[in-house]
Amino acid sequence: MRLELDRIGHAFLGRAVFEDLTLSLGDGEIVALVGPSGCGKTTVLQIAAGLIDPLRGRVRRHYGGHAVVFQEPRLLPWLTARDNIAYGLAARGISKAERRAMAERRAAEVGLLARDLDKYPAELSGGMRQRTAVARALAVDPETVYFDEPFTAVDVGLRRVLQDLIIAACARDKFSALFVTHDLAEAVRLAHRIVVLSDRQEGIVAERILPGMPGERDDRSVFDTVQAWAKDPAFAALFDGDRQ
Amino acid sequence: MRHGLAFLDWVGRYLWSGWAGAAGLFCIAAAWQAGHELYGSFILPAPLETVREVAKLAQDEAFRYAARETAERAGLGFALSVLIGTVAGIAAGYSFAAMRLMRPVVTVILGVPPIAWIVLALIWFGASGGTAVMTVVVASLPISFAGGLEGVATRDRTLDAMARSFDAGPFMRLRTVTVPHMISYLFPAWTTTAGSAWKVTVMAELLSNAGGLGGDLASARALFDIPRVTAIVLVTVGFALLTEYALLQPIRNRLEQWREAGQPWGVKR
Ligand SMILES: Nc1ncnc2c1ncn2[C@@H]1O[C@H](COP(=O)(O)OP(=O)(O)OP(=O)(O)O)[C@@H](O)[C@H]1O
Ligand SMILES: [Mg+2]
Repeated sequence: MRLELDRIGHAFLGRAVFEDLTLSLGDGEIVALVGPSGCGKTTVLQIAAGLIDPLRGRVRRHYGGHAVVFQEPRLLPWLTARDNIAYGLAARGISKAERRAMAERRAAEVGLLARDLDKYPAELSGGMRQRTAVARALAVDPETVYFDEPFTAVDVGLRRVLQDLIIAACARDKFSALFVTHDLAEAVRLAHRIVVLSDRQEGIVAERILPGMPGERDDRSVFDTVQAWAKDPAFAALFDGDRQ
Repeated sequence: MRHGLAFLDWVGRYLWSGWAGAAGLFCIAAAWQAGHELYGSFILPAPLETVREVAKLAQDEAFRYAARETAERAGLGFALSVLIGTVAGIAAGYSFAAMRLMRPVVTVILGVPPIAWIVLALIWFGASGGTAVMTVVVASLPISFAGGLEGVATRDRTLDAMARSFDAGPFMRLRTVTVPHMISYLFPAWTTTAGSAWKVTVMAELLSNAGGLGGDLASARALFDIPRVTAIVLVTVGFALLTEYALLQPIRNRLEQWREAGQPWGVKR
């Protein structure tokens, strides 16, 4: 087990977001956390990553280091792409030369060209910024990575590329990942296991273990799975556009 | 080597951009000349006459000493006011309690007219440099305070959360997230402070009879030596221009290079 959330509950300004949520993350496992907008997915992720403290319950982490890829790239506008990628390494006190080398290697892995590394975020395209954010997270060799809907703002083609990149990186670097998304097809493509967060403060209301390995499922089977789940009451809230 | 060349390139571009500023200054000189031709030398000496007077004064040992005295006082006043104001502003930006406590104090300081400070300082320090320094500090402290406070208060908390997610300590977050953002609030405050430091120093010196350029100005006025008066004014303005364009602007320009990235013409490399 890398991460255990034990009966956690949280509320903002007295308004409960969820109660009694229990969730665990295994070694090298990608868990997709899905749920309708506003149900508290980002909150769960921030609690897991230690960015906010839960009101109730316990969080147990059994890993060395983690990294977060946020919904927006959150790059520092005054640093070049290279220095942004190296940010986590700088926080760990790694020397400048080493940082550069590691940042360049990670940049190549996520498909950033060497000549883009001297650019500031304002000079990068949206997709390049999100790649930079992914490279920054992977650069610290995390044992657990938290993704908060990282690809909602990129187009379908690039989204596939970035998903494949994460699947490959996970298989290679053996990190665990909690992947928040509201896109079921994305969840089915890249996760080992899917959990559904209730929008009525009931915690996790459904859990599905996906057959096969991430990256090995073809588009047909992904499509069929999503179609089959559309009729499943556990996923109803995800497909019902009237709630919100 | 590559960095050295890039630096020279930047220096060259900064100096070249000085032409535009020089054009503005020459416009002022032209208006000045027109005023001179209208009213004559006794009311307004010509720019050229003034420049000659400045050259003559520059040879004068006593005048050089006075100018250095003023420069030291203005510099000390500037440094103290910027340091105290900015640090207090940052503290107030981070701590709500500190802000509640310091805001009214700053408003009180702002509300007291500078001339009252000079009178008070005269009583406390007598006819010495301390009067000028203290007046500069209290007169311009609120500007840096407001700059520091606004800079911290408007920092991007999402970037701060990002830095925390990488276990960056408080000092690293201040250095990499808050300070670069604050620069754009602090520099306008600091340039205003620098400009007023010169003015207030000369004023305080004149009123407290404490030597320096202000003291010189007082005696030139008593002697009705009008070219000397304009020459002293020109020297003061020259000092102010120098601090802004030779000291503060280049630093800001260097630190805020990334801002050019958002401009249509991009970063020049
Ligand atoms: N800082 C905050 N202060 C007050 N309320 C908050 C705060 N952050 C989130 N909330 C509330 O908590 C609830 C859950 O928010 P959260 O951001 O976790 O949703 P989400 O599932 O990530 O939604 P989305 O899919 O749209 O990103 C929402 O009702 C939101 O209004
Ligand atoms: Mg969210």
